[in-house]
Amino acid sequence: MSLVHLISANTRMEFIELKRYLPNTIAMFLTFYIIFLAMFFGINVIGDPQHAETNIQYGIVNMVFWFLTMMTLSNIGFTITLEATRGTLEQLYMSPYGVWRILLARFIGYLMINSVIVVLLLAATMLTANQWLNLQPHIVIPLLFLTIIGIIGIGFMIAGMTVIFKQMSAFLQILQFILMGLAFVPLSIAPFLVLAPFVKGFDMVREVMIHGFTWSHFTAADLSILIVNSLVYLIIGVLVYLKCEKVAMTKGLIGNY
Amino acid sequence: MEQKRVVQVNGLSKLYQKRKTKEIVKAIEGVTFDVYEGEILGLLGPNGAGKTTTIKCMCGLLKPDEGSVQIKGTNVEKSRLKALNHISAVLEGNRNLYWRLTVRENLEYFAGNRGARRKDVQTRIDHLLDQFNLKHKENELVSSLSRGMQQKLAIAVALLANTEVILLDEPTLGIDVETGYEIRELLKEIVKKENKTIIISSHDMPVVQDLCERTVIINHGKVITNEKVDNLIDLFETKAYCLSLGEELNEKQLQQIETHFPIYEYSNQKLEVTLENDGDIYYLMDILKSASTIIEKIDRTTIDFEQVFMNLISREENEYVVSSSN
Repeated sequence: MSLVHLISANTRMEFIELKRYLPNTIAMFLTFYIIFLAMFFGINVIGDPQHAETNIQYGIVNMVFWFLTMMTLSNIGFTITLEATRGTLEQLYMSPYGVWRILLARFIGYLMINSVIVVLLLAATMLTANQWLNLQPHIVIPLLFLTIIGIIGIGFMIAGMTVIFKQMSAFLQILQFILMGLAFVPLSIAPFLVLAPFVKGFDMVREVMIHGFTWSHFTAADLSILIVNSLVYLIIGVLVYLKCEKVAMTKGLIGNY
Repeated sequence: MEQKRVVQVNGLSKLYQKRKTKEIVKAIEGVTFDVYEGEILGLLGPNGAGKTTTIKCMCGLLKPDEGSVQIKGTNVEKSRLKALNHISAVLEGNRNLYWRLTVRENLEYFAGNRGARRKDVQTRIDHLLDQFNLKHKENELVSSLSRGMQQKLAIAVALLANTEVILLDEPTLGIDVETGYEIRELLKEIVKKENKTIIISSHDMPVVQDLCERTVIINHGKVITNEKVDNLIDLFETKAYCLSLGEELNEKQLQQIETHFPIYEYSNQKLEVTLENDGDIYYLMDILKSASTIIEKIDRTTIDFEQVFMNLISREENEYVVSSSN
């Protein structure tokens, strides 16, 4: 039950911060919207006109995935750096629930708020492009939920590294291009990416939204791979974070910026 | 009645390696002391003495190389999260707060991070806001508060956790005299009414003298004193003298005094000196007699805790220099 209160406190905190830094928040969404528009018109101008519709749908879905992963992961690195700079990180470490649970609560809170924003962004995107995707929430939501578990795992790895190295902005900039690759490349082109985090999940959601797949189109193996992949990344992520925390505590790096 | 031990710091040692030079630095060595229930303990020392390292080890933010810390019987290193149920802290003063959140939002957020339901802590928050005279500011952003108010809020956040032990690092740093007094009175009240144990690290000696029953003084990473404040003042008071002289001291006399009495002050024919051994008074008389210096008056000086602290530190510094050169 306490974890629920932890999530509630952190979701509220994320929402308040988004509200208090409103110009920043608006600028962030505008940036992504402008990136999408550039992508949309780019496809229209330089793409094959015969496949323009599919390409645009593909572009919209990928852009939304990229936005979701990038915002979540960069937020995690940024949160740790910001907390260390502000002087609040040490205070978070005074919680008997451990910082990894607080971070988990923050991820969940952040993802909940971001999901609402993503839905709005997606609606705006579809409206602008006049391309309507197969949303099928009863399939997309569970698939995205499973995919997000893997994203959280990667988030923990980034958080762990940030606790030790603090300045991760350069790494996060490189990461956004890696994420772009993972979010954009379909498994049919690079099957080995099935081992990478969240690629399988995004691929499945893409199939639903663009090609109208339903549950019956997926095999038990597809779902098993998605579940195992996400859980493995989550477990590795938490273990990496706890190890980094231990190193930081031995070297006296907690809170030092 | 035997006092109940709530914190046991036992033989803490920590080495650091400097990043650039790779030189090994001993931050603390064999730091040992206990803290008892309902006590306000002062943890003192000059900058770089090892206070922060000790404090961080006590909160489990730093793993010691040797030794252990037990809070209410729980080993901090082995069961850190369990131990944190018994200790809360203000480590960075007003920087421990979220400046873009209001006073009440800060209290609610930190309570939530300790697993409390927002609805359940409202009464306690109201009580703390009243106690710390922050009720009229509850909906204001922390960034708009004065430093003193921010400091009071940081302490209120620590108290909200309702732990038996509260660790306050520099609770009166950078705040005005009035707020400093208010905080002191609040802390006294909290200890008296709620039987909390408070550990204060501070450079503000009047605050320590007013609040703390006992002090642990650390220098060069080692505990040099673990004694009641009153005892320390008594000890030094009996050995501090002020002599009014009939004429100026000559250079030779001053040199002799400087060599033999490390803690002294001389100006306008007034000599204030701290004697370390019983026989020192006779030696001082000999120095004065050597140039037939007239002594007009001898007073025992009243000493405050700041002077006691300086005496202890400079005495230890001298020993440290001697032992280092050997």
